[in-house]
Amino acid sequence: MTGFGTLWQVALREITERIRSKAYLITTALTVLIVLGLIVAPTVFGSDTEESAVGSVGEGNEQIIATAVDLGNANDEPGDPPSIAIETVEFDDRESAAMALEDGDVDAVLVDGEEIVVQSVGGFGGNSLANGLQRAAGTVHIQEIIEEEGQQAADIIEILSSDPLETTTLAEGDPDESDSRTFVAYFGLLLLYLAVLLYGTWILTGVTEEKSNRVVEVLLSSIRPWQILGGKILGIGSLALLQLLGTIGAALIALRVTGAFDLPPIEITSVLNLLLWFVIGFLIFAVLFGAAGSLVSRTEEANTIAMPMSMAAVVGFFVSITALNDPDGVVATIFTFVPITAPFVVPVRTALQSIPVWQYSLALVVCLASIGVLTVLAGRIYAGGLLRYGGRVGLREAWQSAAE
Amino acid sequence: MLQVRDLHKSFGDIRALNGCTFEVRRGGMLGFLGPNGAGKTTAMRTIFRLLRPDSGSVTWDDQPIKPDDLLRFGYMPEQRGLYPKMKARDQLAYLGRLHGLSNEAARGSAETWIERFGLGDRVDDTIESLSHGNQQRVQLAAALVHDPELLVLDEPFSGLDPIAVETMSDVLREQAALGKAVVFSSHQLDLVEDLCEEVAIINAGEVVVRGDVDRLKDSAPIRHLELETEGNPSQLLEFLDGVQSTQLDGERLIAIISANTDVRGFIAHAQAAGKVRHFAYTTPSLSDLFRQAVR
Repeated sequence: MTGFGTLWQVALREITERIRSKAYLITTALTVLIVLGLIVAPTVFGSDTEESAVGSVGEGNEQIIATAVDLGNANDEPGDPPSIAIETVEFDDRESAAMALEDGDVDAVLVDGEEIVVQSVGGFGGNSLANGLQRAAGTVHIQEIIEEEGQQAADIIEILSSDPLETTTLAEGDPDESDSRTFVAYFGLLLLYLAVLLYGTWILTGVTEEKSNRVVEVLLSSIRPWQILGGKILGIGSLALLQLLGTIGAALIALRVTGAFDLPPIEITSVLNLLLWFVIGFLIFAVLFGAAGSLVSRTEEANTIAMPMSMAAVVGFFVSITALNDPDGVVATIFTFVPITAPFVVPVRTALQSIPVWQYSLALVVCLASIGVLTVLAGRIYAGGLLRYGGRVGLREAWQSAAE
Repeated sequence: MLQVRDLHKSFGDIRALNGCTFEVRRGGMLGFLGPNGAGKTTAMRTIFRLLRPDSGSVTWDDQPIKPDDLLRFGYMPEQRGLYPKMKARDQLAYLGRLHGLSNEAARGSAETWIERFGLGDRVDDTIESLSHGNQQRVQLAAALVHDPELLVLDEPFSGLDPIAVETMSDVLREQAALGKAVVFSSHQLDLVEDLCEEVAIINAGEVVVRGDVDRLKDSAPIRHLELETEGNPSQLLEFLDGVQSTQLDGERLIAIISANTDVRGFIAHAQAAGKVRHFAYTTPSLSDLFRQAVR
């Protein structure tokens, strides 16, 4: 049998044994359920209309509230439910209104058309209701001024709530397409990050298990470390990909059925590009996780040894966020050629169309070469680490005790 | 033929192998003996390229062992290891495939060996549901499933009941008769004496005695003497030259004496002292040789 035939046998065992295991079936079912729940629940339990209640004290509030509703719904498509709805609750004085606000009966209080009272200014992005009221108050004020000049209020509202300006980019292609590519890249980034943390651990514990139940000595006495490690990564990686694609598939179907969220149109080439880099990124991390798994004897110790890889994934994630903002920058360019970060950075730069062909190709070569080199290096560490028991094995020690 | 020549291997300050030499021919069975920690497992791992020796060589049919050769070898490590949640047959078939058997051949061979070890009704049981002894049977089957040319077994008899010991002995004899080279380590010296024509005794990493068991006994510088008399046989020891060690087994005196000692005078003294119930003067047993070698 050829070397890769043996590797395939190892992968096949991983797949057939694991796919029947309760752990795999349960995690798959749970992941799909959670994702479906996140998509379906809002459409079942809530409507698209953001409802709020505003307390009104004194005169001059009615018009502001009505204008806020008009402005908020100005861009609604005909037939859709309105974006916002505001219920007005009358109070006799500021004090009782404040108490109702405190109790959460109302979300904001307007006093005499001159003051907005809210619980807090809100976090990131501010309090949207207060902002809406603020804008409405300004509009009402302008209306009053212009009315004195004899202009029609309706014209003014139309001007203020006009359609957003059309955006064009200097890059080639149409902006919608570029949006879609950015979306795919960003989504892929998240997936790679999650997959590395989740499924990398599967490989880590899979290797440690083989070491702790000592079956590895039988394996190593007949086949080579890279065949075991490679087969394990291929097998577990396929299962991971299967679970991931199943989850994404379920999510897409749920989105289409419920219409909870509009997906931009997605190009097949950007999906393929993403898939390519996803696989490359996963492989690089998987090899590292596999080598690390061979250094510990018990599954309990596996978590601490996973630390460096998890940190590397975090770094890759943040570098690619930087690349999203500044795709031509020095940081983005440098990390394009670092094997661990390239799978995060390159898809982003490709999506933003700011990576020269030579850089893309070089990054691809660097990554593929490093998968090969890493597998051989990791194989040796793996072989050296696997037969050393009792506590953690140092990298140097593992390296030196390996036979090849 | 497997030839292990002058292996040296150190782990830090610990010398695990310090001149380990032995050989097993096809059709031969070698008992590899030594006290705990003498280097037996290290030597076996070196054969399978699991460890790299600091110096020395391992050859199979006069060629250095290459990775592909390993597919024709069978190994039962001291630390038993199988996948606990895998079924016995699937497990053996998988190992068969790893050694290059086709799907059908691997499955067939797995079933044959499971049957042979009397586990026919347990083929679909997971390894973890089997008793310790039955797991060990599967482990041996794992070393045999691909019909290897060389069998290296580290303590195959430890923890087995007498019936399993018998089955395993039969299998090993049969494998040697089929022309396989068999080497195994054991502390059960009677069993080794029974099974093996040749032994190698390793002490502190060095093979100190090796060769044909009968020839080793004949040429040993010691003899085994047993005496049981009415009265205390220990008092007669002053009439015996070249005594190397003695022990009392009930009323029976067992002594290891120099092979040069002329015992005729001693017998006369023994007879004069009282009725001799038991007297034996033989070449040393394997246990005697072992104790002598590792002292």
